[in-house]
Amino acid sequence: MNNPYRSIEAEVMKVTTETPSIKTFLLKPKEKLTFKPGQFMEFSVPGKGEAPFTPSSDSKIKETMEITIVKVGKITDAIHELKPGDTVGLRGPLGKGYPLTKFIGQDVLVIGGGVGLAPVRTLMYGLFHMRKQLSKLVYRGGCRNPEEFLYREELEEWMKRDNIDMKLTVDEGNDSWNGPVGVVTTIMDDIDVNFALAKAIVCGPPIMMKFATFKLQELGVKDRNIYLSMEKNMSCGFGKCGHCRIGPYYCCKDGPVFTYDMIREYPGIWE
Amino acid sequence: MLFIKRGSLDQLLESLTGDYRVYVPRSMGDSTGYSLLGESDTNYEIGKIRSFDPLKSFYFLGREKVSEDFKPDILRDDKPLCIVGAKACDLKGFKILDFVFIDDEYGDPTYMKARKEGLIISADCTGVGETCFCTAIDINPWPESEFDMNLSPVDDGFIVTTGSDKGRDIVISNKNLFTEAAEAQTEAVNENRTTVKSGVMERAKEKKIPVMDRLKRIIQKQYESEIWKDVAEDCVECGACNTICPTCHCFLLYDQKSDSKLARYRIWDSCMIHDFARVAGGENPRDRLWMRLRNRFDKKFSYFPEVLKEIGCTGCGRCTAACPGKIDIREVLARLEVR
Repeated sequence: MNNPYRSIEAEVMKVTTETPSIKTFLLKPKEKLTFKPGQFMEFSVPGKGEAPFTPSSDSKIKETMEITIVKVGKITDAIHELKPGDTVGLRGPLGKGYPLTKFIGQDVLVIGGGVGLAPVRTLMYGLFHMRKQLSKLVYRGGCRNPEEFLYREELEEWMKRDNIDMKLTVDEGNDSWNGPVGVVTTIMDDIDVNFALAKAIVCGPPIMMKFATFKLQELGVKDRNIYLSMEKNMSCGFGKCGHCRIGPYYCCKDGPVFTYDMIREYPGIWE
Repeated sequence: MLFIKRGSLDQLLESLTGDYRVYVPRSMGDSTGYSLLGESDTNYEIGKIRSFDPLKSFYFLGREKVSEDFKPDILRDDKPLCIVGAKACDLKGFKILDFVFIDDEYGDPTYMKARKEGLIISADCTGVGETCFCTAIDINPWPESEFDMNLSPVDDGFIVTTGSDKGRDIVISNKNLFTEAAEAQTEAVNENRTTVKSGVMERAKEKKIPVMDRLKRIIQKQYESEIWKDVAEDCVECGACNTICPTCHCFLLYDQKSDSKLARYRIWDSCMIHDFARVAGGENPRDRLWMRLRNRFDKKFSYFPEVLKEIGCTGCGRCTAACPGKIDIREVLARLEVR
């Protein structure tokens, strides 16, 4: 019988410091482990604990995966201590991820904020792989300050492409920044897509997701076309432990990506 | 219908200890509690009502190692379980637990093993507990399914019914312990069932518990009610209601803190505790006690009816008996209907 509580052994190949509190870990699982954009992994440090994270690398790369992690508590403190060669555990992939085939032929808007840019990176690779099948592709990203922008070089690379309408903003600018200043909703007014049919994906801190969702509604995006990547307390990751319930759903098993019409009536979704 | 004398049941249980870990209810204060049957051990009581410990505690342990290092399996060679004297309310709890823990891809290996290999010798209730209300949840106070063998107490022994091939095999291989039941004995069983059922119904009626079919609607309608805040005033956030509940299944996966070894435990958790739904970033969708209390009722009377068409409550009344704040689930349901 399959043991769903068991982690697969993985080796830390490389650690990249993105910001003072964010690092990206390149991991090589010792058994076959693949995932789809939007799915998540339970990442454990032996003897320290386990927590859920969404990979940030291209899901087409099968041998390794990258996970970008902010230091916020005991387990992430232990993860930030990891060095190349260390052994960690991976359990997953868990959850359903983004229904990419539903995006075919449609205008796609991606709204990312803060560390939400990590899972959005995986999604963007997925969208770039299917770019020819999409109509317009729009990306709006925001962060508190320029130092917090993850993968800034890569984002700047994407901005040069002619198959994407992309803008980035920061809440507070500085000398290194010559782009827009303001929250992400302030760079959404010039989006030129067919809102009535467009698919919008929002991933970021709860407050940003809330206001981006309201902005999308205002622009005419349908609730059923707003895909939210929800963050709840997920322990088992497969709908048994009871922690992450949202109405009739479990965030882990039925999400973590939900359309807004599925969850809008339930309390506490933005907390 | 078969009859087994108490002395013969003692012998049967003794013989079952060869293949099973046999747990029996024993008299403890006003109630009964389970412990392992020993050698030549006849000191057990089938019990008038449910034991104080819920049946789930045998199938889904309070704390259990579920993974070690990166090994595929946790090897256990324990003998399977045999639970004696289980009551109808606890058996109904399996409807919820099976739904949660049994599935092809992510099924809980130890729960599934225990359910598959275990033996259940259930029993009719012969009394009405202070907090019992099973009939309000449409459960009769005698087992009707989920048992291998059922005991209906009569003078000097029990009328036996079998509910599975496993149960029938045990009867066949222990033929000499059973006799044909007399008509008066089966009548006595029916009489007891009628008496106990009307006793539970009367008690439920006194408490004005809403009709079962309305419970889901009532919870949904009263979602924003002030009653939750009022009831939560009495809650001390101990989690006893969760621990003692035969359907509460929430758990936490906890990795043992050590130098480098990975040992993962599945530990019962309580949705009444402050940090139950809190995320690492600090957000907590149920940071107020009344929200957690409401969530507990919502899970039992709205979530499970929605996803499984079953109420997540068995009317066992353990939560009410265990609550140090004297929160009575029956009274809360009644209040929600009236307002």
